[in-house]
Amino acid sequence: MSFFLPKLTTKKDIDEVIKGVAEKVLVLRFGRDDDSVCLQLDEILSKTAHDLSNMASIYIVDVDKTPIYTRYFDISYIPSTVFFFNGQHMKVDYGSPDHTKFVGSFKTKQDFIDLIEVIYRGAMRGKMIVQSPIDPQNIPKYDLLYHGI
Amino acid sequence: MGAYYCAICNQTTFCGKKKHIFGKNHQSRLRVVLLKFTEKVKEARRTLKKPQVEKFDCTQHKQKFWCYCCGLEVERNVTDDNMTVMYGGLLEHMATREHRNGTYKFWWDNKADPKLRDRVLITEEETERFKAEVAKVLECFVEKEDEYIKQQADVIRAQEKHRQEVFQCLLEPNEERESSNGPSSTDPSVEVSVSSQFQSQVSEQQVRGRFDPIIEAPWTLAGHSLTFIGYQDSSSSGNVHTGAVPPWLQDDPLEGPSGAAAQAEIGPSLQDFLKQKEQEKLRKLPPNRVGANFDHSSHTDANWLPSFGRVWNSGRRWQSRHQFRQEEGQKNKQKRKREHETGGSKKTKPAAQF
Repeated sequence: MSFFLPKLTTKKDIDEVIKGVAEKVLVLRFGRDDDSVCLQLDEILSKTAHDLSNMASIYIVDVDKTPIYTRYFDISYIPSTVFFFNGQHMKVDYGSPDHTKFVGSFKTKQDFIDLIEVIYRGAMRGKMIVQSPIDPQNIPKYDLLYHGI
Repeated sequence: MGAYYCAICNQTTFCGKKKHIFGKNHQSRLRVVLLKFTEKVKEARRTLKKPQVEKFDCTQHKQKFWCYCCGLEVERNVTDDNMTVMYGGLLEHMATREHRNGTYKFWWDNKADPKLRDRVLITEEETERFKAEVAKVLECFVEKEDEYIKQQADVIRAQEKHRQEVFQCLLEPNEERESSNGPSSTDPSVEVSVSSQFQSQVSEQQVRGRFDPIIEAPWTLAGHSLTFIGYQDSSSSGNVHTGAVPPWLQDDPLEGPSGAAAQAEIGPSLQDFLKQKEQEKLRKLPPNRVGANFDHSSHTDANWLPSFGRVWNSGRRWQSRHQFRQEEGQKNKQKRKREHETGGSKKTKPAAQF
């Protein structure tokens, strides 16, 4: 993937990164490199990566290469972005049905920056779930299929 | 009867020849009380012509207020647990005969300004008008509520329908793939029904478990929607929603003998641990102590000296260093000279310099 965001291809890499990144928010983008919405999201991620370098580390993961993670996070729509802090999975309430990941792309770079800042501050104060600062209109909507059907 | 008690001054005993109600204290308190009371009534009067009806909110609508004239608590709003007429109770109470009598008594007993009395009373005509208005507004409100509920029901129905369709499509493509490749009579009908419901074309060749459901995303560009990559079946291993162990905490099945050796010891090595302890101690020291940012690993050369033997230094270090080196030079010269000439060792007095 261009835009100079580091890629992770194996489960081991992802494990190391999750356990290794300390005192910063870890952003993992699960998706495919050729999908249009993924491209939009990747552009936003790469352009903000430098400015957020003290608060966040951003990595790209291909969903086809790591099925175990795709299954674990129940990733049905791409792109999905998962956030970690010090090895702990951070949940964010966006107003959407799924709090464990962010589905879709951000509307503006500022939305993403605000979200990272809120996650960082929440994590620094010991919160494992935070409230998203993004306007609910800008959150992509999707239907969540229930398992029981 | 008990002793005389004035509710406004909150007193039983008074001094002075004239009755206390003519006095400054009582009158000022009375004015404050009346002001507060008439404020409340003013609010209520505003709704006389235009009654406010709201959905019943159990946290806010059961408020009572104190009627000074009658000396009792009255419910402010009228409610039937579904909707409330704001200030209904207040207006009803003000219209009653007892309240009228009470008001006159209160005004006489406390010698209040009679002009203000009318503000606190509500005539019968006004109440009649109010009741008519309320009936109308209630009807409107009920209609609006019904409409709202119908809308919600529509939304829910649409969502259900959509889910069913998606699920159908999940099943049907699998069946189509399993059946023989030749076109069969059932396929066109399935295709037609499927494609009529999904705006994207779902043909046999393109079916691969990957299609775009209709999703409303108000800000996305025209036609863009999220790519669906298939229903993730994690019933065997569990996923983040069911609270399974995350993969990064599970042992990797591919990690062979190398993993075993690395996993024998967990935690930092002894060196790291001791270093960490030192760092902890350092952290407790004040941050603006001298030499706090001294870099212990910086390299100094062999002939470094702290202050070159000077006592009363002022000025820069290089000056004292320079002088020191000069003296050293002279000392060495004198030593060499004497060694040359005498061959013996002689003590040389160091020259005292200021």
